[in-house]
Amino acid sequence: MSRTWLMMEKSPGAGSAPHVARIESVGRRLPPTRLTTEELMASTRHHTNVDLERLTGIHERRVSTGDEDSLSLAAGAAAECLARSHHGPEDLQVLVNSSITKYRGGLSQWLEPATSLAIARSIGATEAQTFDVSNACAGMLTGVFLVANRIRRGDISCGMVTSGEYISQLGQNAAKHIRNVLSPELASLTLGDAGAAVILERATAGEPGIEIAGFTTVSDHSRLCLAYPAHNDEGARMFTKSRAIHRIAIADTPVLLQEALDAADLSITDIDFVIPHQTSARAIRKGMTELGEVFGGLPRHPVVVTVDHYGNTASTTHFVALVEELEAGALEVGDRVALLALASGLEIGVVLFTVDKGLVGLYGDGA
Amino acid sequence: MATVLDPAAVARDRWWARRPGARKAADQACRDAIERAGLQAADIDLLLNAGLYHDRVLSEPALAALIQEDVGINPEDPHPGAHGTFSFDVANGSCGVLSALQIADGFLRARTIDHALVVASDADPGRGLAPGFPFASRGAAVVCHWEDRDRGLLGFHWANEPPDTAQGGGLRASVAFDGRRNVLVVEQDRDFTARAAALAVEVAQAVLDEHGLRPADVDLVVANPLTAAFRSGVATGLGVAQDRFTVVGGNDQVHTAALLVALAGAQDQSRLAEARTVLLLSAGAGITCGAALVLR
Repeated sequence: MSRTWLMMEKSPGAGSAPHVARIESVGRRLPPTRLTTEELMASTRHHTNVDLERLTGIHERRVSTGDEDSLSLAAGAAAECLARSHHGPEDLQVLVNSSITKYRGGLSQWLEPATSLAIARSIGATEAQTFDVSNACAGMLTGVFLVANRIRRGDISCGMVTSGEYISQLGQNAAKHIRNVLSPELASLTLGDAGAAVILERATAGEPGIEIAGFTTVSDHSRLCLAYPAHNDEGARMFTKSRAIHRIAIADTPVLLQEALDAADLSITDIDFVIPHQTSARAIRKGMTELGEVFGGLPRHPVVVTVDHYGNTASTTHFVALVEELEAGALEVGDRVALLALASGLEIGVVLFTVDKGLVGLYGDGA
Repeated sequence: MATVLDPAAVARDRWWARRPGARKAADQACRDAIERAGLQAADIDLLLNAGLYHDRVLSEPALAALIQEDVGINPEDPHPGAHGTFSFDVANGSCGVLSALQIADGFLRARTIDHALVVASDADPGRGLAPGFPFASRGAAVVCHWEDRDRGLLGFHWANEPPDTAQGGGLRASVAFDGRRNVLVVEQDRDFTARAAALAVEVAQAVLDEHGLRPADVDLVVANPLTAAFRSGVATGLGVAQDRFTVVGGNDQVHTAALLVALAGAQDQSRLAEARTVLLLSAGAGITCGAALVLR
């Protein structure tokens, strides 16, 4: 029984959890329409004097113009994930959807039935057990934690985690209210739309996969980012204390990351890639610099940043970025990747996995 | 070795509270459940909230994080010599509690955690968001722990209605703009209960078959929805006498907390202590049904 601060699982585990879960396939769906930060800031109702692109490093994001919603983005990503996968929809024993937004048919936020059920039906996964999790921007990695737990124990051998975030409309609502850089809705302007899906399966004995998954909720800070349906507008509004979140993340993440590294008997320099939650390019790079100072070293490659061209796509960011790196051929067999969750709650999580030949092979020559 | 459920706790609206709300009901149920389990708040490793109708229809963060802070379950920044708590929400219509129990059981089985707390609550979200809100304001919670004995919670089975019969999912709830403001609308099909009962019979039969049990072996059924029509439909379809079902009067409109309200009712009526084979059965929007057994 681990007495770490993180609720953590190491694979392969002892006794009742002898298996390892591996990432078998990843898919994403991005709306084709690009909205530049310049265009978005030109749409604000008030003259703001905010240079958002300089503050965040975000040049543009993808947005649905009504052509996509949360369900279509998640289902589209799930279909792409399956198209790359060796599995058919009938192999999926569980399907967990983890989006914050659950818009279907425009800006209608569905509370029930579960969105996962609609996604399962859309891709023909009629045998999959379905449920949703809601954990802000840590949702997809929370889903991965749950599915990996079942695979580790041998309860299932294959499952899917999805998310579809039609969340850029929070930025459109924010544009009506923002007056200056201190606005609590400033973070809403960084949001972009995307869907993502990942299939997890049991790894062949002795093969690598997800080595560590650990999460915690530092709930003294649970009220730093809150989202509700807008009162007099379509969609929702989100109120964020971004600087406080960044400050706490910088203070708390090193301790928790160290726990994960210790459990895997690794040091920070053994990590090849870090894919953090994508909030702002500036905040990510500053955070990594500070992490490097604490650890006295850095991962082998520069931190992965996609927020500059996709914006913050909420719970999908890690897998949107993972697809990007795989498609670019940046990941090599044997690379260790750390997915770092940071989300409203305040949720902090670490998933460490090793890239294998099967995953690289889905996107290129498999070398 | 198995997951064992501690006594469940139910929180009702307090007459003196001006705006009780889903969060306060969940907070109270959690405090009571922790006390009933003989634990301290800091003993909880995992907190799962399965309630759907939050105050103001909060969509971020997980309500579980707010509950964790309210109840004082390891809310502080990480520090040596202690452990943290992981909290998030599970959404699966009124089957969310059973989904959460399965998740908790998974982490207990892996020996990743010692104690999980499952809570669910719903209430009118307020601010004029939900005119005619149909569900009762209620919260309920239960602690689960691991014991070195061979009887406890086991055998989860699930089924979704096939797509060709699933038009509308039996029950739908969404928040949408009506031209002036966002409004929560909940609709239930007339045949929801009959369809839910038919699917519930299937999953119940499957979980019994897997463990070599017959319907007659079931001493007690703890099931939601809490309506007489649902109980009657399952009793007839499964072939279990109606008097084996837990009945908790005046709770027909309890939604996500219903399974735990039934469990607490069975405790209060001293029926749980006497039952050796308990069937947990949950049906909700989708239509989705789940079943599990508690062997004692």
